[in-house]
Amino acid sequence: MTLLVNGERHQLELGTRRLVDVLRDDLGLLGTKLACGEGACGACAVLLDGRPVASCILLAAAAEGREVTTIEGLSSGIGAAVQEAFVAEDALQCGFCTPGQVVSATALLAATARPTREEIRVALAGNLCRCGAYPKLERAVLRAAGSGS
Amino acid sequence: MSQRLIKTQSEFEGRFQDVWVLVDDDQDDTADTWGPDAQLRLVGRPAPRQDGAARAGGRARFTVDVRLPGMLHAAVLRSPVAHGLVRRLDLEAARRQPGVRAVLGPESELTFTARNPVLTAEPRYGGQPVAVVAAETPEQAAAAIAALAAEIETLPHVIDPEEALREQRFFGEPSERTRGDADAALAAADVRIELAVETPAHLQSPLEPHAAVATWDGDRLTAWISTQGMFAARDELAKTFGLRKEQVRVITEFFGGGFGGKQGAGWEGTIAAELARVTGRPVRVVNDRHAEQLDGGRRPGSRQTIRLGARRDGTIVAVDMDALVSTGQGGWASPVDVPAFTLYRCEDVRTMTFPLRTDLRPMNAFRAPGVMEGTSAFEQAVDELASALELDPLELRRRNHVEVDQRSGKPYSGKQLLWCYDRAAELAGWSERERLREPHADGLLRGMGCATQIWWGLGGPPSHATVRLDSDGHALVVTGIQDIGTGTLTAAGVVAAEELGLTLDRVRAIGGDTAPNVYGPVAAGSQTTPSVLPAVRAGAAKVRGTLLQLASDMFEIAVDDLSVSDGRVRSRDGAIDVDVAEVTERLGNATIDGSGSRGPNPSGFAVHTFGCQIAQVAVDAALGEIRVERIVAVHDVGRIVNPLAASSQVEGGVLQGMAFALSEEVVLDPTTGVPVNATLDDYKVPTIADVPEITIDFAPLPDTNVPTLGAKGLGEPPIIPTAAAIANAFAHATGCRCSALPMTRARVLEALA
Repeated sequence: MTLLVNGERHQLELGTRRLVDVLRDDLGLLGTKLACGEGACGACAVLLDGRPVASCILLAAAAEGREVTTIEGLSSGIGAAVQEAFVAEDALQCGFCTPGQVVSATALLAATARPTREEIRVALAGNLCRCGAYPKLERAVLRAAGSGS
Repeated sequence: MSQRLIKTQSEFEGRFQDVWVLVDDDQDDTADTWGPDAQLRLVGRPAPRQDGAARAGGRARFTVDVRLPGMLHAAVLRSPVAHGLVRRLDLEAARRQPGVRAVLGPESELTFTARNPVLTAEPRYGGQPVAVVAAETPEQAAAAIAALAAEIETLPHVIDPEEALREQRFFGEPSERTRGDADAALAAADVRIELAVETPAHLQSPLEPHAAVATWDGDRLTAWISTQGMFAARDELAKTFGLRKEQVRVITEFFGGGFGGKQGAGWEGTIAAELARVTGRPVRVVNDRHAEQLDGGRRPGSRQTIRLGARRDGTIVAVDMDALVSTGQGGWASPVDVPAFTLYRCEDVRTMTFPLRTDLRPMNAFRAPGVMEGTSAFEQAVDELASALELDPLELRRRNHVEVDQRSGKPYSGKQLLWCYDRAAELAGWSERERLREPHADGLLRGMGCATQIWWGLGGPPSHATVRLDSDGHALVVTGIQDIGTGTLTAAGVVAAEELGLTLDRVRAIGGDTAPNVYGPVAAGSQTTPSVLPAVRAGAAKVRGTLLQLASDMFEIAVDDLSVSDGRVRSRDGAIDVDVAEVTERLGNATIDGSGSRGPNPSGFAVHTFGCQIAQVAVDAALGEIRVERIVAVHDVGRIVNPLAASSQVEGGVLQGMAFALSEEVVLDPTTGVPVNATLDDYKVPTIADVPEITIDFAPLPDTNVPTLGAKGLGEPPIIPTAAAIANAFAHATGCRCSALPMTRARVLEALA
């Protein structure tokens, strides 16, 4: 089967494996984290055709023919602006949930250039941060939105 | 340079230990402390994390990301019941499965002598490891676990602390602490209150679970471990496997959260090393989420009863508290009684703590262990007393302020708690508090409550750092820090740059690796900043001295007429103003090195951190829902090195404390004795949607009795008073108290009924 990840095509044996495992173990894209395995925490978020999904509860085969973008594919444009804003606002502590937060925030800003606080909260409510960087996450997304376009 | 040995005490979570510390005669730690008027260019200004971009870009490599050639994957069979007996376990069937390279059960011979059984045939808590396999793939390892076809007979268990108390099942002796005569003072008091409060078992729930990857090269062991204490892990592994310390290397470069629950090598570090040894292959052991929530550790649940007596004028005259702590199968006497014993001036105090041996996993540390759950109950009782006295709760706290540590009799080294009360009241609008109770258009009940925080935060020796200035004018600081997300490495860079007179971008601080053998303490107990940063500063001071000496020789000018700041060496008369690199380039390939160590602690003082938090809540009485609208957090931790990271620490602590008050608890199945909500779906950690407005400030003065920055630790303080402040705000809003935390909808409705 063929998987399109970060603009590159890969021929892979997908079987019944989860997308997160294929990304991490076959493609070495270790920025995507596995933390709960049940779609409850958002650490494994990737973009599927631009929309955030939990790659720990998605069969890799379901991503065939679609465009997968991981944190490694977000080094320019909105993704880069989000990452810069995260650092400037200190919107991360241990950093384990951060790639997933960046993925969700990037998807939000791609769809809504100037989100309200409420829209940010809705968009990121599925991304847990046990360190509690939430207040600064909100500010970072606002900052990235301000620096964008 | 000569050195001398000084005996001092090192502090960790209020436990003191005599240590000998080697002090350079040319390193004067007491004369050198940055005072309130110190002219500092970098310390005290916001600094973004030096590794922030790597974390934000997904390039940070955590233990779970370590991939080694030929690496095997472990899977673990865990007990499905709180107490059981393994009747059948087919190790041979597991060994016959494809890809399986090792299978260990309770009876298997190990290459080392374990102090505690690493695998058990009679599990005493749900999730306790029974067997472990290592296989070529995670799927093969899981298949081998299934092939074990384990049969575990259920035995009677005790998970209820009251039942454990009736059966006198203690873990260690119950402890009593007394001062004066609490009974007599209580009997003589004008006003008495009694409050019983239950606090929940509270799971650290780090998003990176406990994890280890171990590999051997001959008799040398390298282990990547997600641990807060890499040196403790190194020493533990060296002891376990009969190695010299130098033969073991532990790496913890990036670390996905611990909050107290990841200490030393851990079970996973030891078992990964053992499996790697017997298979001759690297082995990866990583908890899945269910295992992490079952066996990652917890703040023990408690049941506390507090009796207070006071005079009419608000003077507290008697404190009597007892606490049942559901310690589980191991742990220590967590200082749940410290707030009762020390927070307010009182001559007649008694506290009793009963550590109960329930069939639960051994308790372990979770941010401010003991003190947080103790404060959550005690500070509610203080508010009940304020109600009984018809006194403003903040005023009651001010009237019972104390300047001396009543445990040791020593004066506090620095205590700006009264300032914190005033500042928090001002920020929260405390003077308008009663107006919150007037009817609101949205139909919600509102109230405001406060709570006081006390913790330690002094740390102590030993801690070391080496600072190396290159000929290109850039410096590298090597520390024993494992930066667990607090930003302590960034702070180390700030302190080094300050002392070296360099700009921040020319200093890099590293840690997370025991190989350089530059010792640092476990990242816990709010001790990293006060322990390690003075060592960094001392090393940097030596380098600066050598640099200026070099410049003095170069420019033929007295060293006292030279200074270095912002990366430039300048003479007093302004004639010389050159980049540091213009001086250091004379060195060619040589470097200027300085090693620093943490000096002795001050004697004659009790060193503590303090603070006050004020919560404003809105209560939907029909739904039983409590919404926290605002938290004001004002803490006194002495000097703030990096206000950006400091405010992040406070926000994180407040949110964990808020969830302890409102949503987080372990729910046990009475039939099996096993947690039923050991998942992130059912164990309710807060989300961004739950976040209230959080307003933060810090007391203005450094603690000049604390070497050499005047900075105390900040990791624990912010979590300590939040839950009590919220519970007090709820009581202010409704006139009712929930007898147990967390204040879920069911409990709120019950309290309001």
